[in-house]
Amino acid sequence: MIAIPWFKESKQYAVLRSNAMNFAASELAPVADELENTVDSPAFWKVVEKAGSMGMLAALVPEKLGGEGVDPYSLCVALEECAVESAGFAAALLFHNAALVPLIYADKKELVEEFSSGRPLATTATAGKVDLEGERLRGKATFVFNVLEGCPVLLFPGSPAGHEVVYVKSDYPGVEAKKDPYPLGWRVSSFASLELAGAEPYFKLKEFQREAKLSTERALYLGLAAISVGIARKSFEKAYAYARQRYQGGKIIIEHQAMRMMLARMLCGIEEGKAAIRRACEVEELAPALIAWRRASNNACQAAMDGVQIHGGYGYMRDYGMERLMRDAKYCQMFPASEEEGLLRILEMVEERC
Amino acid sequence: MFHKDLGETGKRLFRDFPVLRMLWESGRKKGIAELVETVRRAEEFKRNYALPYALELDKRMEEEPEYFDWEIMRQACRYRFLSIFIPKQLGGSAGEFMVTNTSLLMDELCSGCSGMALAIGAHSLGVAPLVTSGAMGHWDRILGEIVEGERKMEPVTMAYAITEPSAGTDVEEPEFLEVAKLSLEARKVQGGYVLNGRKCFISGGSEAKYVTVCAALDKSRPLETWTTFLVERGMKGFSSPRVELKMGQRASHAAELLFEDVFVPDSHVLGYEGDGMANGILMIMAASRGPVGAIATGIARSAFEHFLRWAKTRRNGKRPIDEDRIRMNLADFWGMIQENRGLYMSNAMLGDSIFGKVLAAPVMVLTLSLPSFVRTNKVMNDFLNSRYGKAMVNAIMRYYIKDEDITQLLETASLAKFSCSDNAMELCSRALNLMGPDDSEERRWVEKAYRDAKLTQIYEGTNQLNRLVVNNVRFEETLKVEVPRPFKKGVVS
Repeated sequence: MIAIPWFKESKQYAVLRSNAMNFAASELAPVADELENTVDSPAFWKVVEKAGSMGMLAALVPEKLGGEGVDPYSLCVALEECAVESAGFAAALLFHNAALVPLIYADKKELVEEFSSGRPLATTATAGKVDLEGERLRGKATFVFNVLEGCPVLLFPGSPAGHEVVYVKSDYPGVEAKKDPYPLGWRVSSFASLELAGAEPYFKLKEFQREAKLSTERALYLGLAAISVGIARKSFEKAYAYARQRYQGGKIIIEHQAMRMMLARMLCGIEEGKAAIRRACEVEELAPALIAWRRASNNACQAAMDGVQIHGGYGYMRDYGMERLMRDAKYCQMFPASEEEGLLRILEMVEERC
Repeated sequence: MFHKDLGETGKRLFRDFPVLRMLWESGRKKGIAELVETVRRAEEFKRNYALPYALELDKRMEEEPEYFDWEIMRQACRYRFLSIFIPKQLGGSAGEFMVTNTSLLMDELCSGCSGMALAIGAHSLGVAPLVTSGAMGHWDRILGEIVEGERKMEPVTMAYAITEPSAGTDVEEPEFLEVAKLSLEARKVQGGYVLNGRKCFISGGSEAKYVTVCAALDKSRPLETWTTFLVERGMKGFSSPRVELKMGQRASHAAELLFEDVFVPDSHVLGYEGDGMANGILMIMAASRGPVGAIATGIARSAFEHFLRWAKTRRNGKRPIDEDRIRMNLADFWGMIQENRGLYMSNAMLGDSIFGKVLAAPVMVLTLSLPSFVRTNKVMNDFLNSRYGKAMVNAIMRYYIKDEDITQLLETASLAKFSCSDNAMELCSRALNLMGPDDSEERRWVEKAYRDAKLTQIYEGTNQLNRLVVNNVRFEETLKVEVPRPFKKGVVS
């Protein structure tokens, strides 16, 4: 492993990073393959429990509501470190934490306690099209992770009054989960689309809907950027280690300039992603988070693809762990919105400010 | 025969490949009609078998990586895809447009399912060294068996084994082979050779009845002693102990092959001792990297076709294609596909202008026109497998295939391979980005194409190696392939 240079953090974040790194190495790494192959396994819940004891299950919720009350950058640090070992697990944590954000605006301590009890995890469903007609939810939410029985699902349905913020439980009447056991990436948590045919919300936010939605989205985009950096780091680490031991063309392949170019590009991508996240965390706006997400996820995709390429045939095979990074990175890039939708949104946000 | 007789397939091909129309109009109607017929059969395979079944099979392979669906090969028999590289005189369909035929077939099959296409294409890759090395002594027995199996819908397949655990790129380039760390070694013994070691990631290796295997006779002098052998299933000590779980193209296995004191008789050397790099690798790569470009193009087309269907489907009251961002990208994607087709077709046309002459050579036509029992007669067969028989084939090859032609073919093949696969990867990646978190069958197809496309940047030499080949042939002129000469091994400088 090679230490990535230049990036200095304050002591507070350095300690947090060190703790998260230890958690990822000791709890997550040994079971990462098992988590990937078996959804809802005892190993998964054991790691979730440990994450909960470290405050990762209500990270952004203020302490007075029973949460950890950390800033978004701290959550990013934790997610990045988790993603180094398992991007799927980091994504599960992110969707859970993002789902709790509107409860801050609702000031609902009892819901925070209920949702962050650890099992099942809550989730955030931002894709698809759901409408709130009267007091009933109709439509389809797509790309929903963490879908297990009784899982609280955060939705942003459209309604005549504008955007709403509601929660529904995945086992409510009128909610049908269509699971897909083999999504391209993030296989750790259960992946499904939810068909809503007149389901009743479990909880509906009465005010600050716009603020709650924007804050949730900001957390999602920042978190995905952090997970992307984690994937890029892991890709670099694996590719670098492999390049130092694989012999082709009469020398170890790290001595071939074409390989060094790819590794150098990966390194730059990691630094760019980290810098973009740090800048985006300094302002409480969505546009910088979108920019960070776009930069970090594009770089992660490139890094993972280059990592597979450096590994050659071995990179393409399941047993060597490199192809998983390529699959996971792709979902960071195409979720929660397509890249172009994200781009157009950045312009819209800037126009709104003007 | 008129243009309209070629049906909808011909109409589409003439629109997508104007060069085919030009050839048709300049009088090469028979050959073009055969190409159209191949693609028409591939369209039928895609429509009736690949599209309805590919996603289901892909999932099944995830759960049972060792499963192989022989129905793919039976369907390939039905549509006569297993004899695509076998000369017509022996019952196959390889004629004047042998390489173009294979490329167009791969493009069409991969637009359905590249895993299934690889199962079929890897077989043709195994057949190729047998054909290009001119090992006529084996043609009737093995190629005849393949043709007969195809007729009876009892598939007999071949595979091509060069990659070793510590040598992937190294075994595909002369300069690298010289310093490669090899696993497999062939030792000369009385009457033949004994093979010991391993090959890995061999497409179709676990199913093939016959495998063309490259091995060094002396691991300390691999380039000088690199030799191509024909290994048969059932030879004592030859096995395929495991297959890999791949990210994509799963319908075809990537197998490990194990050689434990496998005795291979002298008659099973394809070409000469030590001519493996020219005969067993570079001539094959010159003929096969272009079709890999076609594989990548087919995968890109699969992603494109499903993306287009998605873009035209109305959801939540609007169609994605009504947005500029989709329309701009669709045009880009089509441009990439046509760019790919230009590259692989120029390689294929060059390939056919080289190899077509050999198959049409009077001596070859005469030999192949002899009744099978004459060629398989022991005296004749011994002659064809002997140094003198091989020398006769080499003399014909050297007369018709010029060193500079095969070197240029290698360059165009490598160029097509890396350009097409890079384009395919970019197209699939961009299509997924545009679709975003959409819940549709089309997204699953594009995800599959994304996984499948990556392999085309790796196999048949990584794209980095292929770039190096283009550089070495075109700009530095340090790589020249010499066609094997009678009684002398092929030289690579």
